[in-house]
Amino acid sequence: MRRRPLARLATFVFVLIVAVSALLPVAWMAIAGFKGKTEVLATPFQFFPEIWNPDNYLQILGDPVFVQAMTITFVGAVIFTILSLGVNSFAAYAFARLDFRFKRALWAFCILPLFIPAFAILMTSFVVVSNLGMLDSLAVLIIPGVASAFQMFFIRQFYLGIPLVLEEAAMIDGASRWTVFTRIFLPLSRAPFVVVGVASFLAYWNAYVWPILTIQNPDLFQIQQYIGNFRQERGNEWGLLMAGSFLSALPLIVIVLIFQRYIVNGVRISGLK
Amino acid sequence: MSGTHGGAASAGVMPVTAVRRRRLGSHLRDNRTAYLMIAPMVILLSVFVIYPLGYALYLSTFEISFYKDPVFVGPQFYWYVLDSPRFWNAISVGLRLAVMVVPVILALAFLIASLIKTLGRRLAGFLKTTIYLPTVVSGVVASVVFTFMYRSDGGLVNGFLGAVGIGPFTYLSNPAIALPAIAVPAIWLGIGVSTLIMLAGMLDIPETYYEAAELEGAGFLAQIRYVTIPLLKNVLLFLFVTGFILAVQQVDLPLVMTGGGPVDATMTPNLFIFTQFKDPTPYATSFSLTVALILFFVLGLISMLIFRLVRSDKAVDG
Repeated sequence: MRRRPLARLATFVFVLIVAVSALLPVAWMAIAGFKGKTEVLATPFQFFPEIWNPDNYLQILGDPVFVQAMTITFVGAVIFTILSLGVNSFAAYAFARLDFRFKRALWAFCILPLFIPAFAILMTSFVVVSNLGMLDSLAVLIIPGVASAFQMFFIRQFYLGIPLVLEEAAMIDGASRWTVFTRIFLPLSRAPFVVVGVASFLAYWNAYVWPILTIQNPDLFQIQQYIGNFRQERGNEWGLLMAGSFLSALPLIVIVLIFQRYIVNGVRISGLK
Repeated sequence: MSGTHGGAASAGVMPVTAVRRRRLGSHLRDNRTAYLMIAPMVILLSVFVIYPLGYALYLSTFEISFYKDPVFVGPQFYWYVLDSPRFWNAISVGLRLAVMVVPVILALAFLIASLIKTLGRRLAGFLKTTIYLPTVVSGVVASVVFTFMYRSDGGLVNGFLGAVGIGPFTYLSNPAIALPAIAVPAIWLGIGVSTLIMLAGMLDIPETYYEAAELEGAGFLAQIRYVTIPLLKNVLLFLFVTGFILAVQQVDLPLVMTGGGPVDATMTPNLFIFTQFKDPTPYATSFSLTVALILFFVLGLISMLIFRLVRSDKAVDG
């Protein structure tokens, strides 16, 4: 018992170190956004500004291109998330519960993309979407990534764990498979849907290479594209760049804080272990 | 078909045929529902994944030009790629990045997960969310922030080092330090998920194992060595391989931070593919695509093996 206070202190220090190193870059980005043009590059460096000046934040929020990029990326991410949840959970249910011809072959087909890195097909996917006339549209950002072997697999693992008795009762009462899916499985899917949905939203919001390949029209610029271009074109306005970067990450931080309970426990329902 | 035997069958057998017929009926209904439910997935994957893969395989073995029919050239592009020093440089950069990133992530995640396990519920919840938070930051934003942190004027890293009288250093323009400088944000971005997965694995180890080990006189380190690590073997292996595959494929960080430079010191395989893809010289696209396919064969094989391993192990464990 003698070493208990010491152990507690050590734990406390360790927690502090971990938390600070995890949060430091984000905090610094947010704080640097409050610094003036010369202050942000001042040597010797200072962590906090002399005067907290919101000019950078006001200026970037007053930039219609930034606001438009945030809005259009948000809209795209919402549509993308809803479509992926639909497409992947339909397939997940069919593979978890239904019995049908060619099931094994179709399963192999749907799971194969798990082993295909995006860059292996980057160029030919580009050819496909340009032949389909999808370049410079929201569709090119949304549609190609909707079907996801990983998400389907994740949701299926969860469905396999739902007890059969629930649907047997319903089916004896004459419910169709579709009714079983919408009335029994969907209401139970909240936890996996949050985990998978947040992952979809993140993937869409943070995508960079695909948007810069397929989008030329400034009206459709995605937020990462905006930040990347800003870095290239006005790279020395660091205060402004930090403010914009922080604001671009803010929606995701908020989403994670809202759904933190589901996310940090998400790996447990994945059936990974 | 079953009707021919139905007449000869006793009354007791009749329900069996009826049941069989009903099962066949519901089976047919399953077929339709099932096909409707997987159709969107199968169609989307066909158009945007499987077809592009087949098309890539085709393009990598045929020489395409505007004025001739495509000519089958077999593995010629593959030999050409395997002969290119820039290809091997990219592979080496990818491997070195993975070697810098993955072991550090595994070690830190192990340490942090062990710590979280000992904490009370509220503090554990706080630390889990905190460690996960960097995961949501995009590669582009992480690149911008770390580029700024590495600056010689106004940069945080040189600021801290300067406070103890070292530096200032340049990081991203120095070929010897640029890659480690990119490894740091890669670790920062990747550690959250690994920690949470590792923690989930640790929580699955029954507490009785530790009690038994303690009765045998095993100390803290001995418990880690003889209980935690052996029982966490699969999780560690999974995290090692997936982390490795992700690190080799890193592209956003070098693309925004260095553009692959200085002198190709941070030209990861995917960045190499990307820059070749945008290169207008003839056959650059075929070249880029072949590089991508070679990478796909190797990484795909590794991930398929690991998938088998994890799954088969699960089947054995029950």
